Amino acid sequence: MGKFAERSDAGAPYWKRILDASLPVDLSYIPIGLACGILLNASGFNVWTTLMVSVMVFSGGAQFLIASLLATNAPMLSVLLMMFFLELRYALLGSSLSKYLHDQSLGFTMIFAASMNDENYALNYLKFSTDKKFTPKEALHVEHTTLIFWTISNLIGSLIGSAINIDLTIVHFALTALFLYMIVMQLKNGLIIVICILSGFLAAFFMVLTKSTLGLVISTLVASFIGFMIEAAIRKHHPKSGWLKSMKNPAGTPEEDVDNE
Amino acid sequence: MEWTTTQHVWLVLGCFCVAFAPRLIPLLFFRTRKIPDWFNEWMRYVPISLFTALVVKDIFITPTYSVTIHQIPDMIAAIIVIGVAYWTRSMAISVILGLLAVFLLAMFL
Repeated sequence: MGKFAERSDAGAPYWKRILDASLPVDLSYIPIGLACGILLNASGFNVWTTLMVSVMVFSGGAQFLIASLLATNAPMLSVLLMMFFLELRYALLGSSLSKYLHDQSLGFTMIFAASMNDENYALNYLKFSTDKKFTPKEALHVEHTTLIFWTISNLIGSLIGSAINIDLTIVHFALTALFLYMIVMQLKNGLIIVICILSGFLAAFFMVLTKSTLGLVISTLVASFIGFMIEAAIRKHHPKSGWLKSMKNPAGTPEEDVDNE
Repeated sequence: MEWTTTQHVWLVLGCFCVAFAPRLIPLLFFRTRKIPDWFNEWMRYVPISLFTALVVKDIFITPTYSVTIHQIPDMIAAIIVIGVAYWTRSMAISVILGLLAVFLLAMFL
């Protein structure tokens, strides 16, 4: 399905280009959204509250967390606190996209922020960094297309959940698979692979240490900063080092051109 | 104690606030300012670090935050997903085959 995102048929109607760009996420939102709707239903959400949470929170990880915490009867305050730590990572996503959204109006920025999440961020980041003509408005419409697929899948999941019984631990793996896919898409050179492995160990260490998802935020900050420092050091002392060389990839995704700016 | 629908509505509104603030503030902050180069270079390592951390949480961390290596079906399915993602570059195929793999492995292991 990756081919859809890369094809740049300028002649196609606008809505179709947006749909093509967002299609990889749209399609994978169907199983994940269904899974999430089923889990929310199991934790007591009805169709209306499911609709509300999928439009207003619009985050697979957060909604899965709400479902699992409600299933264990956690108090409201601790759910909100966990959510806050989980959602803190969006600050990092926002920061890394901000250079492409320079000088947009306040209203646009707010609407854009409200429906930004891991998956459409990954799409838009890739689009912005490979397609110079990609505009913030198109990015917003990509977000909203993914939102529509997500919400409808959530609602259908909620209805399915009230009708049949499903093993929830398996359903949860949909989100893990999605993150794994996004990791693989990012592995472009040796250094990134090293940082990926390092980040895995740091994540385990800090989560056990903090006994909360705050560990996720700390390990992300530390691992990404180490990556940045190593890259700077390599560029300074060994500019020809193989660690930063782009690897071939089997499907031939376009190279990022952020370095040549 | 079962939660009522009213409590669910309050919970969602609360979640909206804690989800919206971290998404908005950095975008707002950098909207008009010049972003320093070192910051952009640092941010390029954020997605990979974050996604890895989330996967490690799902596979190797228990709900009580200790390390586990007993989720064998998830571990094997994860390796399958990595292979499928690498070769197909398709998000949808990766997710669906991953779900199928974890379902079959959980049944037979």
